[in-house]
Amino acid sequence: MSTATTAAPEQSAPLSLRRILPPIVTGQEIVLLGVLVVLWVLLGIFTPAFLTPGSIGPLLVQVAPIALIGVGMTFVIITAGIDVSVAAIIMVSAVTTAQLLVAFDIPAIAAVLVAILVGAALGAVNGFLIAYGRVHPIIITFGTANLFLWLGLRVFDSSTVNNIPSTLEFFGRGGAGSTLGVPHSFAIAVVAVAAAWWFLRYAKAGRNLYAIGGNQNAARLAGIKVQPRLVWVYVVTGALAGLAACMVIATGTSTLDQSVGSGKELQVIAAVVIGGTSILGGRGSVVGTLLGALLVQTVVSGVTQLGWPTQLGFLFVGIFILIAVGTDLIRERTRRRA
Amino acid sequence: MTDTAQRTDPAPGHGSTPRLEMRDISKRYGGVRAIRHADLTVRPGTVHALVGENGAGKSTLIKILSGAERPDTGTIVIDGSEVTIHATTDAIALGVQTVYQEPQLFPELTVAENFFVGREITRGPTIDWRAQAPRMLELLDTVGLDRSLASQPLGTLSIAKQQQVSIAKALLEQASILILDEPSAILTDAEIEVLFGVVRRLAADGVSIIYISHRLDELFRIADEVTIMRDGETVSSQPIGELTVREIAERMVGGAIAEGVHKQGQHGEQVLELEHLTLDGAFSDVSFSVRAGEVVGLYGLVGSGAAEVGEVVYGMRHSTSGRMRAAGDDAHPVTPSEAKRRGIRMVPANRSSQGSFSFQPIAFNITIGSLGLLGRLGWVSPKSERRISDDLIRRLSVKTPSGRQPIGAMSGGNAQKVVLARQIVEQPKLLVLAEPTQGVDVGAKEEIHRIIADLAERGTAVLVITTDLAEVQRIADRILVFRAGRVAHEFPPTASQASLLAAAAGAVEEPAETSGEEPR
Repeated sequence: MSTATTAAPEQSAPLSLRRILPPIVTGQEIVLLGVLVVLWVLLGIFTPAFLTPGSIGPLLVQVAPIALIGVGMTFVIITAGIDVSVAAIIMVSAVTTAQLLVAFDIPAIAAVLVAILVGAALGAVNGFLIAYGRVHPIIITFGTANLFLWLGLRVFDSSTVNNIPSTLEFFGRGGAGSTLGVPHSFAIAVVAVAAAWWFLRYAKAGRNLYAIGGNQNAARLAGIKVQPRLVWVYVVTGALAGLAACMVIATGTSTLDQSVGSGKELQVIAAVVIGGTSILGGRGSVVGTLLGALLVQTVVSGVTQLGWPTQLGFLFVGIFILIAVGTDLIRERTRRRA
Repeated sequence: MTDTAQRTDPAPGHGSTPRLEMRDISKRYGGVRAIRHADLTVRPGTVHALVGENGAGKSTLIKILSGAERPDTGTIVIDGSEVTIHATTDAIALGVQTVYQEPQLFPELTVAENFFVGREITRGPTIDWRAQAPRMLELLDTVGLDRSLASQPLGTLSIAKQQQVSIAKALLEQASILILDEPSAILTDAEIEVLFGVVRRLAADGVSIIYISHRLDELFRIADEVTIMRDGETVSSQPIGELTVREIAERMVGGAIAEGVHKQGQHGEQVLELEHLTLDGAFSDVSFSVRAGEVVGLYGLVGSGAAEVGEVVYGMRHSTSGRMRAAGDDAHPVTPSEAKRRGIRMVPANRSSQGSFSFQPIAFNITIGSLGLLGRLGWVSPKSERRISDDLIRRLSVKTPSGRQPIGAMSGGNAQKVVLARQIVEQPKLLVLAEPTQGVDVGAKEEIHRIIADLAERGTAVLVITTDLAEVQRIADRILVFRAGRVAHEFPPTASQASLLAAAAGAVEEPAETSGEEPR
């Protein structure tokens, strides 16, 4: 039948995609970038050693795994989920890979593949339980984190894995770990962030993640296959945690101990939240996450380099998180009231 | 629009075939007959109002048309050919689109994205905005939204604009029948004008619109024809100009007369007195009083402002002007806890979020508001908790094996009794009840009404705020009908339901058969 076709043809304005898509950079990202630049300048003034390649390089190497997992975690939090098991996934993935490196001296490619596959498999466990079990993700991943730790400790078989060969030095701190001063691990993280940015902005599957996090029921009614998408985000997060495990092995000594990865989940979630992704779901960006990871690591390294007590790092990161979550909640409340 | 369509006679002499004919539709849910017999005929390019009280079968009929439910009997004919609608996708393919009262949209996505969620046009993995944009911008024009809104996050738009987006979105697929389910319930008057403009434009383009609303007065400004449902049947269908608000209201309620439960006795001193009380954006110039032992009912449609009066009385919100004397004190209660200290109690409408602790046992839920009675020095005595809760469980006949059951596992009616029990552990001076029987079964409803009457007889002043017509007529000694934030009229309990409904829905004429009180 005839529907509404009243729009006069001459009225159709020139089509600008910029007027339809969300803005390329958000206010929060600009603020973050500003804070980061100010911090770097201040640190450069007070500790001249800070802005040298010898200091920035290691900082970027430390940021890399956080930013990399942060990509997956951003997906997860956009869908209104959370994954507190990533530290445990790093541990299982790292110890499995390290044991294979020690026992069979497998080549780097194989080691990376193993690490990613182990991570993806554990992520799949999370994803299936969350998507089909319909239990809140924090409960599920808190439970699986403990299962994964048990699994990892079984693979350790003793308190440490010793004499790990330097097969993964491509990701390391040393000369083999960087090209033209850029650490490979950080470059990988940046590429992952760029790919994820494109995916979240332009791909149908990426845009649908925002719909799922914004209103899961409406997303289902709109015909989005919510459950497979949810499984997928946790698999991606697990796989990225596996790749991050390779970086962790490469930046450590030739010995891996049982505390590997511990605390990383909180750093990753901190980076994502500081980066402006709403913990309530439906809104967020990976560029923000990268900036958040840089900010967290800058604060931690900066405190050390200034010779201040290291516990101040926790204080500052804590303040950043509360500010980020606070502005998010205030924004949400004013929106609800409007 | 000027032709007369007889009920049994599908528009004789009218040139065009009806856009939609639903014939002999019936639907049963378990033992409940949601629709006994319904016929609906909608002609092309007309706005067809569908009215009826809650439970009359409107939503079921709409669900059948939109494919959310299947009818037990009956046929659906669209543009002269019989069709089967087994799923929402079938309905959409036939050009039937539904805009629900609660927009199913995504606040964080842009307006443009909201259009296409789940049905994106893609090139490879990416969304092809160049393919999507022209049609979308055209639809924004159609519903009268500025094109620059396309890039705004939906959540930053007003509710009215969000609704225009849902209508535009519904038109994305070829729509020849558009169902609007209470589109005006959440809109302001100015926003309703915009909505009407959109509806008229669509009708002029040949779209048939089925318009569901409880605001009967507005139907006269937008609808061409009206079909009235009562108790699962369509009772009449005709051009709306042949009827008045009052006649529609009468047909909606039929001859139903409920028997009052509350014996009108003599009432005591004034417990609550409101003088010209105003809360900006909700109600204005509201004056009335409630005496000890009296049950006053505030009846109005959703959004009438009656609900907010209860919230002000209980100190949850603060009036902007006017005076209120509550429980012997000239000042407003500023917080619920102060209201409580004065002997005012309230049972909120949304009991699951505002009223109950669902994981906790019944006894906990009953005594949580009066722990001071249960022991000394801040200690809670389990013995007295047990005694008080068992006593109330018996008095209100809450159906449970023991006070240790969690409230979350109970039926709506029983849970409501528990929430009510909490407020009457100590006999309150004034009890405010908002929608006391919403979502409870008939038996429990009966018992709750009996409890309210019983409380009044013991000397409590009761203020019942409800959108349930039969309820207010049944339990109140006096009925104040709210409309658009004002007391539209005061009725005695003997008033007919049709008069109450007509006053609430905005009949301008004087209600015929009631007392001689002046409309305010």
